[in-house]
Amino acid sequence: MSATSARSHGPLRRRPAALAATALSVSAALVLAACSGGADAGTKASDSATPQAGGTLTWGVETEPVTLNPQLNGQDKTKLLLRNAYEQLLARQDDGTYVPWLASAYKVSDDELTYTFTLRDDVTFWDGEKLDAAAVVTNLKQQLNPKYNPYGAAGPLSHLKSATATDDRTVTLVLKEKYAPFLDYVGSLPLISPKSYAKADVQAGGPDIAGTGPFVLTKYVKGQELDFTKNKDYAWAPATAKHQGAAYLDALTYRFLPESSVRLGALQSGQVDVIEGVPGTQAAQFQKNGAFTYQTALNTGTPYSLYFNTLSGPTSDVKVREAFRDAVDLDAVLKSVYAGQRTRAWSAVSPEDPSFYDKSLEGTYGNDKDAANKLLDEAGWTGRDSDGYRTKDGKRLTITDYQSQPYVRDQRDTLLQAIQAQVKQNAGIDFDVQVVDSGVSDEHRAKNDYGTYDNSNTNPDGVDIEYHWLPADKGGFINLSNVTDPQLTTWLTAAQQTTDTAKRAEQYDALQQYVIKEKAYSFPLYEPEDQIAASSKVHGTGFRTYYQLPEGAYDVWLSK
Amino acid sequence: MLLLLVVAFPGLFASRGPLDADPLRVFLAPGHGGLLGTDQLGRDVWSRVVYGARYSVLIAVSATALGVLAGVLLGLVAGLGGRITDEVTARGLDVVAAFPAILLAIVLVTIVGPGIPTVIVALAIASVPRYARIVRAETHVVRRSAYVEQSVTFGLRRTTLVARHVLPHAVVSVPILATIGLGTSILAASSLSFIGLGPKPPSPEWGAMLADGRNYLQNAWWISVFPGVAIVLVVVSVSVVGRWLQRRFEHREHA
Repeated sequence: MSATSARSHGPLRRRPAALAATALSVSAALVLAACSGGADAGTKASDSATPQAGGTLTWGVETEPVTLNPQLNGQDKTKLLLRNAYEQLLARQDDGTYVPWLASAYKVSDDELTYTFTLRDDVTFWDGEKLDAAAVVTNLKQQLNPKYNPYGAAGPLSHLKSATATDDRTVTLVLKEKYAPFLDYVGSLPLISPKSYAKADVQAGGPDIAGTGPFVLTKYVKGQELDFTKNKDYAWAPATAKHQGAAYLDALTYRFLPESSVRLGALQSGQVDVIEGVPGTQAAQFQKNGAFTYQTALNTGTPYSLYFNTLSGPTSDVKVREAFRDAVDLDAVLKSVYAGQRTRAWSAVSPEDPSFYDKSLEGTYGNDKDAANKLLDEAGWTGRDSDGYRTKDGKRLTITDYQSQPYVRDQRDTLLQAIQAQVKQNAGIDFDVQVVDSGVSDEHRAKNDYGTYDNSNTNPDGVDIEYHWLPADKGGFINLSNVTDPQLTTWLTAAQQTTDTAKRAEQYDALQQYVIKEKAYSFPLYEPEDQIAASSKVHGTGFRTYYQLPEGAYDVWLSK
Repeated sequence: MLLLLVVAFPGLFASRGPLDADPLRVFLAPGHGGLLGTDQLGRDVWSRVVYGARYSVLIAVSATALGVLAGVLLGLVAGLGGRITDEVTARGLDVVAAFPAILLAIVLVTIVGPGIPTVIVALAIASVPRYARIVRAETHVVRRSAYVEQSVTFGLRRTTLVARHVLPHAVVSVPILATIGLGTSILAASSLSFIGLGPKPPSPEWGAMLADGRNYLQNAWWISVFPGVAIVLVVVSVSVVGRWLQRRFEHREHA
């Protein structure tokens, strides 16, 4: 049942943002020495006590996976679930350096074209298959199989020349040209048992798709819950974990509670032990209450932004794009929608990514009603209709955003409504926000029939910028502004081919100034963050090092 | 009466526009910011409730009118037609009536797409059997009554017969049913909006406001409580009027 129902979500996987290929990929450059990591965390559970094994944890989550196959799922919010069952070759520490996980060592040749991974020899998938070099090669080759992953071949693997199992434990990958983000992509690809590719429900994922994780995925009830039990043989935790050996918990249940009020109520009444996704307006009740712990961390990658469609409609005019941006008093809007609990975005990169975040953009645009109206007058939108909206040649200035329902979270629907009210009141723009299912939103995107497209993504270290600003057929999976400006490709190619962080930052900064300030292709709104609120008997919850998404339940334990 | 006034002239009752957002005045409690407080975007809850009456009443009245029109026509056709027409129509009505009205409406709206016209048509279709069945039954009674048979004997034209004798007698109970149905329609329209199938945000529709406020119940109860109160008050008063009409009518019948 789970197979068919999940497969009915097929169209979602067509959405580039939901690709396996968009799984986290980052440059090999050793960057982010200053990455603050857990420093953002608010109240930390007191973890000084000795962990106790046993017990079952129930975790209320906001977002249900569109597929349980970790290679095909691009929803950042579901990584905390899938992370329990599926693992990868390398882990990254907060400072960006790589540490062994399923690979005990790796080597990059001096010309940066050959990557050699040495695997651990004790790792098995839960279906009994051994994790050997051939299994890793199969996983990589499957990403290039268009029937399995239609977008894989255009992603970072397009730079791959050959993948070979040199011996039982050694994988050798050779690139066609230098590609700085490659190590992170390969190091973070979740691996599944080679046998799983032959299963009928490989696209939908589920218990049949075996991983190597500390928990075994046992049951999925669509719309309700996802269950895991402890993998007793687990002995290959990464160095970033807080302990080694099997997980503490015997079993783990994630319940899908998309309504924030239901999720909060379930935690307060003890029906669940942990929740993620706490609305800004409700955070205070957990921050100030000793019975709970509350932690937050800003996401990496590109902030939640509006991308203006530059190919068609009024937004093809740069003046309209600038006017829209200037008509919004974003600070006031964020303060009202999130009760001051969210951070405003200025650049195309999260401040979590200090090397590429362009601080000089802060405060340089927006909140200028008069400028917005002047721009619209210049652009010829001088008429007004009976509802007070601007018109040109009798046509209303309407900019439509089709918000895709599975991606609406953290009150982003309310946020867009607040912006809708602002642009109407301040500039007479009709910002038409429609929450639709993903098929409809895909369709509008395919036909280029939209005004803005809203999106955030967590790929750190410059890969997010590539996905947004390369031409669509050159790896710009989520080039939602439909920009094909060769200038952007020049900057991005220059940044790809060097591992010198400062030089890469130069290219990325030039690009950010251009796409945000000069051309107003995109309008950054706020930095997404994750929140974890837990009952005080739950210990060991936290955020994944470097990537800052909520971590799985491997280190979590319950005090009696 | 008051409801009709509110529907016709919302501007008389509310000074602020229902869509006027003000990010500096969010979550103000009733009394501190407007009569009923402000919502998550700083819009005035009182204004939204007042303007929202328009949506609810417009949808309910149109849906009921459409349902009555179609129901009466179908009922007459079934009641006056031959045996086959009657059977086909009646069984068709049974099929529609077998679906819970709200479920039928949800299915229709999901297929056609949300919006006010679809909600109206969906609710109307769902309510057709209720009126058609009554009219059909009454028509059967009337056409077999002595005076109709006499008129037939006198050679009255069929259309005249239907218009002058059958219709007026067959539809006496319809207005009462429709008044009660109005209340049901308001409730159904709000339910559809609540689950996001009604007018698009930011329209101040009561059901949609209820849904919006749900996530803020713990810190701002007034956002959803007042639209809820408005729905209850209107449905109750419409139903009371309907029952009163019904009692008067029955009284007259028995007298």
